[in-house]
Amino acid sequence: MLPESMTGEQRVLAAVNLEVPDRVPIAPLIYQFVLRHKGLPIVPLAGGDPANWPKMIKAARDTADELGGYDAVYAAGISWPISSWRLCGPAGGRSVTPGQDGIPKDFSVQYEERETMTPEDYDTIIERGWNDFFRDYYPRVTGITLEQADAAQKYLLGIYKEEAKYWQERDVAIMSGALVISCEMTLSLMRTLPRFMIDLHRYPERVKAAMEAMVPDFIQNTIEHVEASGIPWVVFSLERGSGAYFNLKIYEEMFFPQLKKLVDAFTARGFINVLHFDTDWTLNFPYLRDLPARACICELDSTSDIFKAKEILGGHMCIMGDVPPSLLSLGTTEEVIEYCEKLIDVVGRDGGFIMSSGCEVPPDAKFENVKAMVDTAKRHAAPRS
Amino acid sequence: MSEIPTALAELNEQEVARLVRERLDAGDDPMAILNDCRRGMDIVGERYKAGDYFLSELIVSGEIFKDSMKLIEPHLKTDANASATRVVLGTVKGDIHNIGKDIVAVLLKGAGFEVHDLGIDVKPATFVDKLKETGAPILGMSGLLTPSFDSMKETIEAVKEAGLRDKVKIVIGGGVVTELVLRHTGADAFTDDGLEGVEICRRFVQEVK
Repeated sequence: MLPESMTGEQRVLAAVNLEVPDRVPIAPLIYQFVLRHKGLPIVPLAGGDPANWPKMIKAARDTADELGGYDAVYAAGISWPISSWRLCGPAGGRSVTPGQDGIPKDFSVQYEERETMTPEDYDTIIERGWNDFFRDYYPRVTGITLEQADAAQKYLLGIYKEEAKYWQERDVAIMSGALVISCEMTLSLMRTLPRFMIDLHRYPERVKAAMEAMVPDFIQNTIEHVEASGIPWVVFSLERGSGAYFNLKIYEEMFFPQLKKLVDAFTARGFINVLHFDTDWTLNFPYLRDLPARACICELDSTSDIFKAKEILGGHMCIMGDVPPSLLSLGTTEEVIEYCEKLIDVVGRDGGFIMSSGCEVPPDAKFENVKAMVDTAKRHAAPRS
Repeated sequence: MSEIPTALAELNEQEVARLVRERLDAGDDPMAILNDCRRGMDIVGERYKAGDYFLSELIVSGEIFKDSMKLIEPHLKTDANASATRVVLGTVKGDIHNIGKDIVAVLLKGAGFEVHDLGIDVKPATFVDKLKETGAPILGMSGLLTPSFDSMKETIEAVKEAGLRDKVKIVIGGGVVTELVLRHTGADAFTDDGLEGVEICRRFVQEVK
């Protein structure tokens, strides 16, 4: 292993600031893997039987120890602060838990998308703003009152802060103080992806105006949530805006301006922006250079070209990822090490890189492969020019 | 050249609907109208391959094609798929993701295939039963999760056990499907792109001839 002179938190912050840390930080997004590894039921975050939560929290801690420890964690145990009803637009869908509805018990948690928003709702958002719209929408589609939602949010945040404290005392960075789902992602989950694409084709100005009306409340809600959690990191859920889905004209004129407003507002507050990109964003990388420097992490899920990201974004923002889930599940340990060393050699050159799983470590990943990913970050030195 | 392919390629919903109705009212051969819609879909596919169109344009074109089919089908005297190659399609056991699979289904229909879409969370035996029932020479399986890889493998084992493997070409698809997954499952081809999935099926048709 390489000699260490920094704490996990210092190491991660150095990577965000594009400095060269003592070694490459490791920060896997790891939740369902832990549950399966420890023989616990795979359930959504903060889901399942609350009586199991202490076991789930212990499983997260013990697994981290077995893997040799991380420099940062995403989810602190059973939850992360995504429970804000005002941030979680796609409330109308349903999490499908393994072992229920005929889904095998060792499968992953999945999300069943439902059309819970009408085209007319765009107009309501435009007229009344996001929060006011959501006050009616949320109880209507979930059957949960706002009082109940607020109480649940407060309760989960309390647990989250306790868990965060455990990690922070061990100098491990917590990478999420709030989660914001991008405007296009929120609307597409509420309308369903195909309907949202058709909406954009039929009435683009209406959709754009709705997104613009969402942004001020998204900013305020996120700031309040970060203040409540005390963790100045914002995770952006970004999937359905990429060049894998939409042409760049739509991205440039409709989606990116909203992202930039959010990132600029949070950066002005001193928050770090974790841009969690699922699907292939390679075509969109050039736009990200317009976001503030040394304030964001471009986190990739293995479907984007991370090496291209280094070419385009290196020297501007930290890059994180992207050990492929299929490699962690099906690959040999040697293949995992080879890929991780390549990541360090190319993306890790001169700093600005955090080793991580491509999105979440899959529940059926081989333990020895996850360990190899963690160990390679600690063993293999990043080159300097 | 008919205006329908151009209007469809330009994603002009109202114009396509108007033209289809106009030609149906004029007594044009509905099969010829349908083929013009398919030509429009081909142009959309070409633009996608050229990088001018993206997934959203494929979805919109698929919607226009579906709407056109609704207008045309009642007028068809013979089965539009009488000579079409059959494809059995579904998201594998345990996996409920439908969007990618649905896109492929529409694109395959637009390309003239007869699609037997079994939906989501499809058990291996259900795939096998449908292959037997239809005699389809192509099986397409979709999955977005790593545990789905074993479901794909299990299904291919079931196809083998049913004695159909040498009669059926198999393509797997999904966002995280890679060469490694192809080897693990024993499928014939893989893709993470819906339109490429159609191209693979077209290639299969040539191979099984």
